[in-house]
Amino acid sequence: MSQFNGNVDDFGMDTISLAGTLPAKLQAMKAAGFTQVMLSARDLVGHAEGVDAAVQAVRASGLRVTGFQVLRDFEGLPDGLREYKVDIARSMMALCAAVGSRVLLVCSSTSTHASSDLDDIARDLRRLAVMAVPFGIRIAFEALSWGRTINEFPVAWDVVCRADMPNLGLALDSFHAFAMKTSLDELDEIDPQRIFLVQLADFMWNEIRSVEERIDTARHFRVFPGEGAHSRQAAEMVRRLDRLGYRGDYSFEVFNDDYQQMPLPMVAARAARSAVWLGETVLRRSVPLPGTLRLRGR
Amino acid sequence: MDTTAQREGVGLPGNPLGMEGIEFIEYATTRPQALGHVLEAMGFHPVARHRSREVLLYRQGGMNIIVNAHAPETAGLQGDDPAPVIAALALRVRDAAGALRRVLERGAWAVPTQVAVMELNIPAIHGVGSSRVYFVDRHREFSIYDVDFVPIPGVDPHPPALTGLHFFGAVQYIGVDRYDDWIAFYDELFGFRPLADEQRFGILPKGHVLRSPCGSFYLQLIEPEAGTLDVDGSEYLARIGLGTPDVPASVAALGARGVLFNDTPAAAPGPRGALTRSEFGRVSFELVHDGAPLTSP
Repeated sequence: MSQFNGNVDDFGMDTISLAGTLPAKLQAMKAAGFTQVMLSARDLVGHAEGVDAAVQAVRASGLRVTGFQVLRDFEGLPDGLREYKVDIARSMMALCAAVGSRVLLVCSSTSTHASSDLDDIARDLRRLAVMAVPFGIRIAFEALSWGRTINEFPVAWDVVCRADMPNLGLALDSFHAFAMKTSLDELDEIDPQRIFLVQLADFMWNEIRSVEERIDTARHFRVFPGEGAHSRQAAEMVRRLDRLGYRGDYSFEVFNDDYQQMPLPMVAARAARSAVWLGETVLRRSVPLPGTLRLRGR
Repeated sequence: MDTTAQREGVGLPGNPLGMEGIEFIEYATTRPQALGHVLEAMGFHPVARHRSREVLLYRQGGMNIIVNAHAPETAGLQGDDPAPVIAALALRVRDAAGALRRVLERGAWAVPTQVAVMELNIPAIHGVGSSRVYFVDRHREFSIYDVDFVPIPGVDPHPPALTGLHFFGAVQYIGVDRYDDWIAFYDELFGFRPLADEQRFGILPKGHVLRSPCGSFYLQLIEPEAGTLDVDGSEYLARIGLGTPDVPASVAALGARGVLFNDTPAAAPGPRGALTRSEFGRVSFELVHDGAPLTSP
């Protein structure tokens, strides 16, 4: 990465791309020049010395927390299950706030027990967003490409609009959009202020033929943007979002079994190469002047 | 009046909880006597003591203030920080249990009752920062204080309000870009609605003002100044607003009791309002004209 990393500051890594302990992951990201990190609940609860030590490690790293993941299968559940899931959501929010994250990632439900009614779904997401207000947390709702009712971002945007809470918005994941061949023209319908997170990943093959293959690819064979078969689309997506006025974070949501067997600095270097490509080649950002202040933290 | 709504607990239009003002406001502090002096200067009188905990009830007119030194750590006070915090707002509602049910369904967080101040089971939810919102429905037939508190002997249990002072509102400090979130929160759970920008009270017309569905209490949300560096982003109830029909008369009466007022150019006392000087670096009261419209000079 260039010595001036101001033009790639909006790009960050996700801990799920790296093997090893949380401190080792944070250290590798920082050494590669990243300034932010996307965390998982697992990073905190799985820390050998407990959650408080994990929170301390994150704070000590100086890395800004992009967001916290992931609450699954929350919306549309029947009464008994719903209250159980509300409890889970509370504990996720408490962790999210403890580690200083302002964004909680919520994936669309895959549960066969969940209602497919978009108004039911919107009502539950609205409640979730109200719950998040005292914590200062924004809910970023993502259409999982194998979600039962919501599997493309335009539908996710529809329920976000129905739910109508200012701290409820979208998480866009390029993998799911590319896997479903969702038209990027649909991005133009979205209020960029309500996109709370963009997750970028590429993959190696052109076609995904079944839901099973989609899940398998998503969980094991993603690569960094620019490394796969969809580089042009990834570049196009980032350029469109930039044109639309999106000024939030981009996180590399790259699940890859090979990267789990590589030394951390090598994986982080690949991520850094991707960030430079996006920042300098795709967005053609110029290097900011030294001493530029970032007044408002996200 | 809609009898169906009354009988079956169906929310009244625009006032889903049947809110009717504020029953009490609670401070948490490690220095209850020092805070008591401040409250007494403001015209409050200690009228009752909690049966089993280090909690005092102060009153003037229709205002009740609870000073809780029993479990200050649960209110977010840390270590030796002497500054009291506003730990709770208690809303008078038609049916406390029903109100709790309704807000929980909409995203409120219940506070476990065993850590509550009162021995009566007063339902509570988490509010801004470490504060709580209580729901009280026994404000007509008998008082909640009759159960938990013992009157202080020889003291008038209902001291009159000084110059007509009454609860008017509370000021809440919020983080950057958080207006919309908090406006939606107070609307969704309680039915508070934002006032038009030109409608302002007092002498500090910043931020956004929300009116309670019963029309008797206001919340003023204030963000950090634009361009402020090193904002820690903490959110909390910063001060209480007291309404008065005659601000200069209240300023004079309180001044005679030793209360000092902020006299900086931006916040000097005037007919619209006044701000007391901060005690312990954090406790101040804002007087707000509340009555017949003031005629323009």
